[in-house]
Amino acid sequence: MTEKADIRKFIQDLLTSNDDRRPLADDDSLLLSGRLQSIDGVEIVLFLEEHYGIDFAEIGFDRDQIDSIDSIYALSQTTATRT
Amino acid sequence: MDRSVAPLDCLGSSTEQCVAVQQILCRHPGVRQAAVVQHGGGLVALVVPDEAYLDDTLGRSNANAVALAKWQKTYDLNQSTKAAASAPPGFNTLGWDSSYTRRPLPPEDMREWVDVTVADILRLQSRTIYEIGCGTGMLLIRIAPHCDRYIAVDFSHAVLCRVREQLRSMPSVAERVELMERTADNFDGLAPASFDAVVINSAAQYFPNLTYLTRVLENAARCVRPGGHIFVGDVRSLPLLPAFAASVELFQAADDVDLAELRNRISRRLRHTPELVLSPAYFLTLTHRFPGISRVEIQLRSGRSDNEMTRYRCNAVLHVGRGEEPSCEVPFRRWSEDGCTLPEIPSRLQRQNQTFGISHIPNARIEKDILALEILGTADPAWTAASLRREVKQAATCGIHPQDLLDLGAPNSGFQVRLSWAASRRDGTFDALFVPGSTLERCPSAAFRWPEPEPSSFVHLANAPGQTRLRAELTERIIAHCRENLPQSFVPDRVVLVDSIPQTADALAVCEQFQGFEAK
Repeated sequence: MTEKADIRKFIQDLLTSNDDRRPLADDDSLLLSGRLQSIDGVEIVLFLEEHYGIDFAEIGFDRDQIDSIDSIYALSQTTATRT
Repeated sequence: MDRSVAPLDCLGSSTEQCVAVQQILCRHPGVRQAAVVQHGGGLVALVVPDEAYLDDTLGRSNANAVALAKWQKTYDLNQSTKAAASAPPGFNTLGWDSSYTRRPLPPEDMREWVDVTVADILRLQSRTIYEIGCGTGMLLIRIAPHCDRYIAVDFSHAVLCRVREQLRSMPSVAERVELMERTADNFDGLAPASFDAVVINSAAQYFPNLTYLTRVLENAARCVRPGGHIFVGDVRSLPLLPAFAASVELFQAADDVDLAELRNRISRRLRHTPELVLSPAYFLTLTHRFPGISRVEIQLRSGRSDNEMTRYRCNAVLHVGRGEEPSCEVPFRRWSEDGCTLPEIPSRLQRQNQTFGISHIPNARIEKDILALEILGTADPAWTAASLRREVKQAATCGIHPQDLLDLGAPNSGFQVRLSWAASRRDGTFDALFVPGSTLERCPSAAFRWPEPEPSSFVHLANAPGQTRLRAELTERIIAHCRENLPQSFVPDRVVLVDSIPQTADALAVCEQFQGFEAK
């Protein structure tokens, strides 16, 4: 499974746990659209910290960074490149 | 352990079948109390879960710890944004987003929110305050100058760092303030009766469940001196949660979303509300549980801003007793029967010069939301969000804005106006008391008797955030237990988890009312 597919599976599991089984495109908004709530955003942050070693206290947190599968993937790659 | 079976006659079903089912239900270790009612041709079991079973066997203790850690992380993250670093001193509102727009609430709304909250707390005239969940310090920076001692605690390290940064430029405030990083249920080192007030403002919604909140309030009552107060502010209202969820979903829905889909979204929002939402009725039960709490007021929030705090939140002021307090009976008439109009109230007060109350006042802040919820329940599912919005917009209104009533009691008016949501009605109507100055002079701390909630209001006192799966597991186990121990025809069709068994014959209404909160 590719990294992006991993991220997609994680997000879809999160949506399913909220009874949300609607289709999801890679650029669909997650938090700003209301499909996920701020406390779900924490799950995404924890996932990124654990799997990609991202330290949000260091890089600063911005909700837009984790608002779609595309942006989460981009963040994971930027950080991977930097480290 | 209290494992009583509710009196059957009270629930309108006294068949042997119900007796047998209740007895079997009460043998399950996850059941503290149970009652069975006949409903829709089948049996419905109303069950008060056993707290220890939820905590230890089903893992609620772990779930609570995880939930608290998530909220803590949410607050830490909010403070690691660029916007938090540049927030003006005393006005760091990071994280205060509208549920409707999902964007930050307007600064003018937040300013009014801070101002009215500070005014409400200053009115208690407390010289020593213990604030639980101080957040970015918006209250303490304004209230501490009026105090001798102000201890503020929060579970977020990042939030407290922001408060410390602000206090560095405010030495006269800082010298009265002590900050502590701890969870709300940690009262270590606090002496009994050592504070005039405990403040829990806009923080209780992040407590994991009702049991946790009750533990916090029990400790808070111990720490407050007789004559002091516990101020639980900005509490999300459970009776109004369906109207709130409907209003948010209707606001966000595209024009072509049909009502069947809209209902699904509302139901999903109700089931997955991550915050603790409370019935005002819960606070009224505290006077029976804790002898230290002598009286409870449930206040509507004041203000002109139109947002979810003014619409759907209230303040609970718990009076810590000095013993017996005077209690005044006041005649209440329904707004619809009273015939009084807003402009006539001052002249009526001057004419009568005695306290009077008006109940069931339609609430202009939310009457359209309530109407939308009503229409949603009956309208053709093929209707769209656009047609519902149009219908609501065109409907005639008769609501009174609570602030219009509060403004009648301005400082030189000669009387006071007090508003209450203690009756916990699901239509958002509120009650008002008009008190002449002469009464206040005679009896300044008079405990006026407000209209009380219907008995069914006590059945569900809070939602159970983050416990959808855990509660579904409990109901499945209870049904499996019934299948093992009862003939098939005796097995309940549904198990509804409740906070208390209804003591009147309205259990059937309860079955209908709260389906949205149960796991599906």
